[in-house]
Amino acid sequence: MVASGTFGYGFDAQLVDRSALGAIVSKGTTPRPREGNAPTRIGETPSGMLNAIGLQNPGVEHVAREFAPLWATWEVPVIVNVAGDAIEDYVAVARRLDGIAGIAGLELNISCPNVANGLQFGLDPRLAADLTHAVRRATQLPLIVKLTPNVTDIVAVGQAVQAAGADAVSAINTFVGMAIDVRRRRPILSRSSGGISGPAIKPLALQAVWQLAAALSIPVIGIGGITTPSDALEFLLAGAAAVQLGTVNYVRPQAAREVHDGIATYLDEHGFGDLRALPIRRSRVLANA
Amino acid sequence: MTVALAPAVVVERSSPMRGATELVLRHPPSAGSVLPGQFFQIAVGAPHTILRRPYSAAWADPVSGRIGFIFNVVGAGSAWLANRHEGHELDLLGPLGRGFDLDGERPAIVVAGGLGVAVFPGVVQALVAHSRRVTVLLGARTAAQLLPADRFVGAQVQTATDDGTAGYRGSVVDLLKGVTSNDLFACGPTPMLQTLMRKAREVELPLSSIQVALETPMGCGLGTCLGCAAPRIAGGYLLTCQDGPCVRADRIDWDRMTDAFHG
Repeated sequence: MVASGTFGYGFDAQLVDRSALGAIVSKGTTPRPREGNAPTRIGETPSGMLNAIGLQNPGVEHVAREFAPLWATWEVPVIVNVAGDAIEDYVAVARRLDGIAGIAGLELNISCPNVANGLQFGLDPRLAADLTHAVRRATQLPLIVKLTPNVTDIVAVGQAVQAAGADAVSAINTFVGMAIDVRRRRPILSRSSGGISGPAIKPLALQAVWQLAAALSIPVIGIGGITTPSDALEFLLAGAAAVQLGTVNYVRPQAAREVHDGIATYLDEHGFGDLRALPIRRSRVLANA
Repeated sequence: MTVALAPAVVVERSSPMRGATELVLRHPPSAGSVLPGQFFQIAVGAPHTILRRPYSAAWADPVSGRIGFIFNVVGAGSAWLANRHEGHELDLLGPLGRGFDLDGERPAIVVAGGLGVAVFPGVVQALVAHSRRVTVLLGARTAAQLLPADRFVGAQVQTATDDGTAGYRGSVVDLLKGVTSNDLFACGPTPMLQTLMRKAREVELPLSSIQVALETPMGCGLGTCLGCAAPRIAGGYLLTCQDGPCVRADRIDWDRMTDAFHG
């Protein structure tokens, strides 16, 4: 899969063979159009990328009217990433997209601040569960909840959204970070801080997926700094049912094809029929070894 | 527009002015398809970098299949690029974005500040080939940082330097005189462009007569990451990579335009 925000709505990808994709996850979509943040919106950090785009998107009405009919003609499923400032925003987007041809599922971005109290939904298991529950009641579509890593216990949030009716979780969203331009003595981003993605966060993401896969019964979709087939295999071996590629899409538009083919080659070379046959070995810590 | 991902071979490397590197690559598909003002996303192999670096083509020759890029070292990525030698292969994504609209009859004036000059050799060549009368106004901090005038064959070149070591002492924008019936092509630091827009308003030159090659931070170059936003006069933002980099100056809200950060 290709991760939200790294593939637009699937139309700009002139270089990508969409048949290599298991699914496209769209740009975060809100009830009304959003202009996004003032520049500067992006920067580069060691082996990573920093962004604060500000959810620039054309709004759900445009997505439902203009994009969904085209997606309905594609073989690759399109999952709409949903964002908002309040539970009602998420519910409004979910309702509008429910039962429309061309929409294969929803992924909730719960890293958005809740305007009611300023706290991100994804930081608190109860808030995250309330949001998931409300959206669950508004749609029949498969529901993925994208977890933020900026928490003390990601498993607690994962368990809460599972209990609230999520069909899967995707992990992880970006880490909060920043960079400062020492020449101008000010933060690089206009919003000072933003989300860090890319290879820099891969080990952190992998560990979160490892924990979640052990604790949850619903599928975990692994995301975070994957650039090669070997990276993807690490997530699959950690227990992910699928993976999303993010930042690498900006750099190597054909990365999904390369990763897809590389996984197939690995399975073939090691005598595994398919992904489900991949054994997962959890290391045992022996108290008295 | 077709966008190619393709290896290009470095065939020549030189320093056309102090601090700058010019790489000449052999890549017939790019040299044959790039329009003046378009850019490429070049992959860099510097440790711990991940994003491609956007560079306007300085010029291209479809006959020899060669394409030139002129740049300064401003960070790890450009330092890596400046260290490529003959025979090295580079991974190019492009040509991308919109080039300059070169149609028209009116005399053309090119205004280049600092490294903004890097986009213009091919532009001037094309304007001259269209039989346009071309004046090139070059500005730099000091004489050694000026791209030599012989890179603009067929154009009249005037220079300005901050320290007065060549040409007029002061801003390149001061060289503009009696320009109400010209087409302008500009590229340079944001403060220079803002000065240019104020000057244009003073002399009642419509901003729609000025085309600017925008420079903003850039992520993907493909319209996907939405990182290269430039403030639009109509509100909201346009994307440098898709709506630009070459745009009419009356589309931009120059008061909200920030200076590009170079990493």
